Amino acid sequence: MIDLLTGVLSTALLAGGVLVLGALGEVLAERVGVFNLGLEGLFALGGVTAIIAVAHGANPLAGLLAAIVVGGAFGMVFAGAVVVLRANQTLCGLALTIAGSGLASAAGRGYSGQPARAVFAGVAIPGLSELPVLGRAVFSQNPLVYVIWIVLPLALHWLLYRTRHGMNLRAVGENPAAADAAGVKVGLLRFGYVVAGAAFAGAAGGYLTLAFVPSWSDGITGGRGWIAVALVIFAGFRPLNATLGAFMFGVITALGFVGQARNWPVPPAVLSMLPYLGTIACMIVPALLAGRTGQRLMAPAALGVPYFRDER
Amino acid sequence: MDLVNRRLPRRLVLQAGGLVAAGSLIRPAQAAGFAAVKPEQAVIGFGHVGPISDEGWTASHHQGLLAVKQAYPQAKFLEVESIPYSADATRTFRQFVAQGAHLVFVTSEYGDLLHGVSDRATDTAWLECNGHSAASNRSWYYVKHWLPSYVAGVAAGLMSKSGKLGYVGSMPVPTVYCGVNAFLMGARSVKPEATMQVIVINSWFDPQAAAQAGTALIDNGCDVLFGVMDEAAYLQVAEKRGVPAVMWNTDVRRYGPKSYISSIVLDWTKFYVAQTKARLEGSWTPGQPVLLSMGDGVDRDAWGDSVPGPVRAQADAVRTRMLAGYTPFVGEIKDAGGRVRVPAGKTMTDLELYGWNWPIEGVSGLRGA
Repeated sequence: MIDLLTGVLSTALLAGGVLVLGALGEVLAERVGVFNLGLEGLFALGGVTAIIAVAHGANPLAGLLAAIVVGGAFGMVFAGAVVVLRANQTLCGLALTIAGSGLASAAGRGYSGQPARAVFAGVAIPGLSELPVLGRAVFSQNPLVYVIWIVLPLALHWLLYRTRHGMNLRAVGENPAAADAAGVKVGLLRFGYVVAGAAFAGAAGGYLTLAFVPSWSDGITGGRGWIAVALVIFAGFRPLNATLGAFMFGVITALGFVGQARNWPVPPAVLSMLPYLGTIACMIVPALLAGRTGQRLMAPAALGVPYFRDER
Repeated sequence: MDLVNRRLPRRLVLQAGGLVAAGSLIRPAQAAGFAAVKPEQAVIGFGHVGPISDEGWTASHHQGLLAVKQAYPQAKFLEVESIPYSADATRTFRQFVAQGAHLVFVTSEYGDLLHGVSDRATDTAWLECNGHSAASNRSWYYVKHWLPSYVAGVAAGLMSKSGKLGYVGSMPVPTVYCGVNAFLMGARSVKPEATMQVIVINSWFDPQAAAQAGTALIDNGCDVLFGVMDEAAYLQVAEKRGVPAVMWNTDVRRYGPKSYISSIVLDWTKFYVAQTKARLEGSWTPGQPVLLSMGDGVDRDAWGDSVPGPVRAQADAVRTRMLAGYTPFVGEIKDAGGRVRVPAGKTMTDLELYGWNWPIEGVSGLRGA
């Protein structure tokens, strides 16, 4: 039983890290009013980039950095289309997913199935890693896990809710016209945070192939990008809630395998579906809660709406 | 026919049978064989289920292609990787025909998706790996993987302390049932109380799921892993957790040098070259399933560092006996529900082993278990 708890917790943290990174990136983009449906494609691009990078350099940090840069570069293309040219965000996001997945698949042909040359290996923290359950589950993880689960969510929370810049940023997502009138550079903020969000998604892909699996195969993202998008809505567009949600998804994913190992009387196909069933459940819950919590978990008012200064 | 009935919907079997019958009525000449082809005009196709870079299943078939290429360098080769189990497969097979292929190796079972094309392309000879039906221009082939699986099981039984073995399975198909059963029978021959836990991940190639399944098995007390994945993800997990593991397809010990016990290694080169030779010389005959035996297409790999000397000796003694014709697959064998399925003294035939679709006593996690 103790082993089981350790296993679930450990896998949840490891697996959920991908979702945390993706969801935090999406929070940034959506907070400035841009709906990025391209996460799935960005995950794939980041993943394959990281694998190719370590195959040539054998340094996991360089691999992750390459994934971030590629994610950001594709983010610029996307931001150029939806912020500068004001193209339809839904269509551009879908295009990014399709193009990104296809491109990653083509680029990764020669690397499919081969274990990563360099990975983010777990590091046992002296003393703490001896603790029961938490020792192996929490204090023997690779260093990225702490950055992803603690540092980044707190930093983004602080940025969004404790700084003037964060207030401006949220204002751009809520009412760009008012923000513009107050002297906030709407276009610049939107562009910058969409690119930053895409870089987060690239990092999520790199984390997937360098820390979690660790290898590349076509279709390795397995819909995680979509789960991350759903997670952001479920979390009311808040970084800390999104992190909690990602943890829940990590647990659900891990339970699917534990369920089979423990012979729960559920068909394996259903257990494999758990994360996706969980997504649907998560989309329903906020809708039911909407009446009670009111405005608190609502989407940014200008989400998905291109901003034209002339129409003020 | 019994074998086919259990695996495929009846309607399908009737259709396939009808097509075979119709084919032989309309084209009696076809059954007589295919005309010889000059090597420089020959077109040989290979259709794979995975990427040739997988260092596993598809890589082993790619080795087969390379061997044929070496034997017939003048021939033209068509190779398509990662063909999905969908209408895309049908399109790919049709493409082989359009390009004038004389012989096509389909290195995984595509069933209807293939037969719909091959039954109309009677000038092309088809070989379907792990297939379940033949026609006037199509055969199937596979390996007697249960023999080395049993040998590896003996080693696993000797090396396991808890007696709990774990298996990372793809789908509930005969290859998986048979691999699990043979491995556990081998283990039980030296450790009668051994049991086997199976996790099915619904894919042949999903390093992510395989790694998680391996982790869950080890967390649940399994101290030797086996599986049938086309890549080495669960070996990496085993290495990290200090648990020995048996693999499939190729030698992948470099991904877990301390854990590696052995692998069910495949070698298609001899068979592929022989089939190509027969087709080019005009002596290729369809309709005869081929099961490559141990030492002739499938074997255990050279033992890994994790395997102690006495264990190697004991397992290899069984292997030597098998090479001389011994089969351990003799009744009485009970299924997981305790019902006797193979009566005492009865020997399972190769086709029964090939089509095994129930788990033996001691297996959990597979349907019927």
